[in-house]
Amino acid sequence: MPGSKTGESGPSRTDSLFSEITTFFTSVRTTITLLFLLAAASIVGTLIPQDVNLDQLSRTAAPVYYRLTVILDLHQIYRSWWFLLLLILLSLNLLGCLLRRLPRIPGEWRGDSVKSSFSFTVSAPRSAEEARSLLVSAVGPLLGGSPQEIPGNDGLKLVWVKHRIYLLAFPLIHVAIIVILVGGLIGLLYGVKGSIQIKEGETGGTFAVIPSGKSQALPFQIALDKFTLKRYPTGEPQEFRSDVRILKDGKEIEKGFIRVNHPMTVDGISLYQADYRLLGVRVVNLLVVDSQGKRTEIAVNPRETTRLEGTPYKVRLRGLDPGSTGKGPWVEMTVESEEESPSTVRIYKNSSEPHQLTKAAVGFLGYEPLYMSGLQVGYDPGTNVVWTGCALLIVGFFLTLFTNLRGVEIELKSKGKTTVARISGRSRKMRREFREKVEATLREKLDAPDGPHTEDREQSDTNSQFRKTI
Amino acid sequence: MTSIELNTYVVFGYLACGVGYLTAFVVSSKESRLRTVMFGLFVLVWVIHTASIGLRWIESYQMGIGHAPLSNLYESLVFFAWAMALALIVARLRFKSDLIVLIGLPLPFLTMGSTFLLNPEIKPLIPALQSNWLIAHVITCFLGYAGFAVSFVAALLLLFTKASEGLAKHLPQARILDEIVYRSVLVGLPLLTVGIVTGAAWADYAWGSYWSWDPKETWSLITWLVYSAFLHARLARGWTGGRTAALSVVGFAAVMFTYFGVNYLPGLHSYF
Repeated sequence: MPGSKTGESGPSRTDSLFSEITTFFTSVRTTITLLFLLAAASIVGTLIPQDVNLDQLSRTAAPVYYRLTVILDLHQIYRSWWFLLLLILLSLNLLGCLLRRLPRIPGEWRGDSVKSSFSFTVSAPRSAEEARSLLVSAVGPLLGGSPQEIPGNDGLKLVWVKHRIYLLAFPLIHVAIIVILVGGLIGLLYGVKGSIQIKEGETGGTFAVIPSGKSQALPFQIALDKFTLKRYPTGEPQEFRSDVRILKDGKEIEKGFIRVNHPMTVDGISLYQADYRLLGVRVVNLLVVDSQGKRTEIAVNPRETTRLEGTPYKVRLRGLDPGSTGKGPWVEMTVESEEESPSTVRIYKNSSEPHQLTKAAVGFLGYEPLYMSGLQVGYDPGTNVVWTGCALLIVGFFLTLFTNLRGVEIELKSKGKTTVARISGRSRKMRREFREKVEATLREKLDAPDGPHTEDREQSDTNSQFRKTI
Repeated sequence: MTSIELNTYVVFGYLACGVGYLTAFVVSSKESRLRTVMFGLFVLVWVIHTASIGLRWIESYQMGIGHAPLSNLYESLVFFAWAMALALIVARLRFKSDLIVLIGLPLPFLTMGSTFLLNPEIKPLIPALQSNWLIAHVITCFLGYAGFAVSFVAALLLLFTKASEGLAKHLPQARILDEIVYRSVLVGLPLLTVGIVTGAAWADYAWGSYWSWDPKETWSLITWLVYSAFLHARLARGWTGGRTAALSVVGFAAVMFTYFGVNYLPGLHSYF
């Protein structure tokens, strides 16, 4: 660590403070503390109601609690200054740990700065070449392939290394978390989220920003041609769909539909189906039977008085029930003509015969509802940064799961007719299993099944040795 | 036979395995053939469980509303129980510990049994769930949860061995239990990570925001943070034994709250 070095004039106060800060940011103890603090803060955020109105809170809550809320942003914990601070501290801590660990990785990759997890020595009354081929045939199948051979002063070194890529898992995972947090910060600073409500047949161009509620203009206009609510036969909703046209300076630049799980993206701004509202009735479809028995279907605008063709009547809609009672849907209309005074009739959709008037009959066929579609507007330039981070994170995690850096090093030294082999091995995971496997394989190959056992030393880096003659 | 009837047999199958295992442990304290037979029975029940999930999938297509059986609380409980049973089988094969199965069996049994309280009818998919992300998201999350469940079971056993020496004589070595606690988390955390990432991708696609601090999202993050702390404590600070076991229990409590407790808080995941 650069901060722990002291100058020629001896340790000074600034040096020790600097080294303390460095220690803080490179310590795993800090990481664990921050992880627990973030977890605790997140729990609080799910217990205290979030996104409540501050003015309302000032009237209803106790003064102390209100003050606390204002200072600590308790009504928006996940956007509060102190939650952000915890995330920044975590990022710096991750960066610190990365910078501390990274310089060691190239050495470990090359194999110079390697701590072995176990080692033992065997000696054999064989020539160096015999011992070499025996050991290569024993270790080769375990670690795949032939070893790297490094000639030394008075002997030979054989080196096997498998799954070096495991070394990348640690930096990948920790860089990934930093990348995700940076992406989140970009979204927080430059992203915008909002909602827009458009009536069928109308055009919208401004949205309400979430959570501030301020209105902001879109760089285009959305024309909602139709909103469709499709239901399953059982009554559950099957599809919410908005058919829209995108207009720029009055010209149509795109046409399409937006469904739940099927957004539309225009100029980097995404539009999502969020909700809908039933505003009223767009058109009521009536069946008119005139005095000659001729049947015609007509569409009635609910806001206008409509003449029923072929009859002396005019109707105006007064009410409609989509089917809230057991009798099914009905319409209520005022019917009038020059000869008859106005009267109000209620016509049921389920009745088998059209409603009989003096000179005609009218039936209720159905209606088209008028909807307002609620769309969510989203623009977040940090999203792709977040996905990059997520991809790195997953690759890193799967490297830790499915690879394991393992290596065996054998130093051969010949003294006359005897060859001494010093065997050392390392494994990042499952050290005990690896050690047992290497020992068992060597014993079997070298035909020495009853050699002395060594004690378990899982996760220990000190070398225990045992000698054996082959 | 319908998948719902099949599930009934699966519930009692797990119960029978539990009773059988307990008998095997009482009758003989050492390795016995009875235990091997009981493990075989357990695997068989699990295979039937798998078939029942597959059958429900087929049934939904026959009804014309075909979708993966992962769309409501009933279906997710059935899948969760399946995943936990699978994790127990893997742990038994990997660590040769029948006691893990004996202590762990109540988890899939109770989870499956609790589905009796719910409406098992196959319902069509609501618009919010009509996405291929559903399968990837739910499967990875629950496999992760299953890993944590095995870690939890081993952690309980480990805490028992710490609590009483008399009990410790009858339990697997603390070293083996400690390995199970740790390695199950090592498998569970990457799966939970993929589950959270696929969930975020789906949320971005469906709602326009990859993270909205909805209670379920927040609690899955809390779970993730606890198990991350677990791994850091173990790998970098050298925590083992009782302390990591306690963390594993805390982590599993967070898993349970993420799954069940959150339903009592308002949020976007209210259909699960």
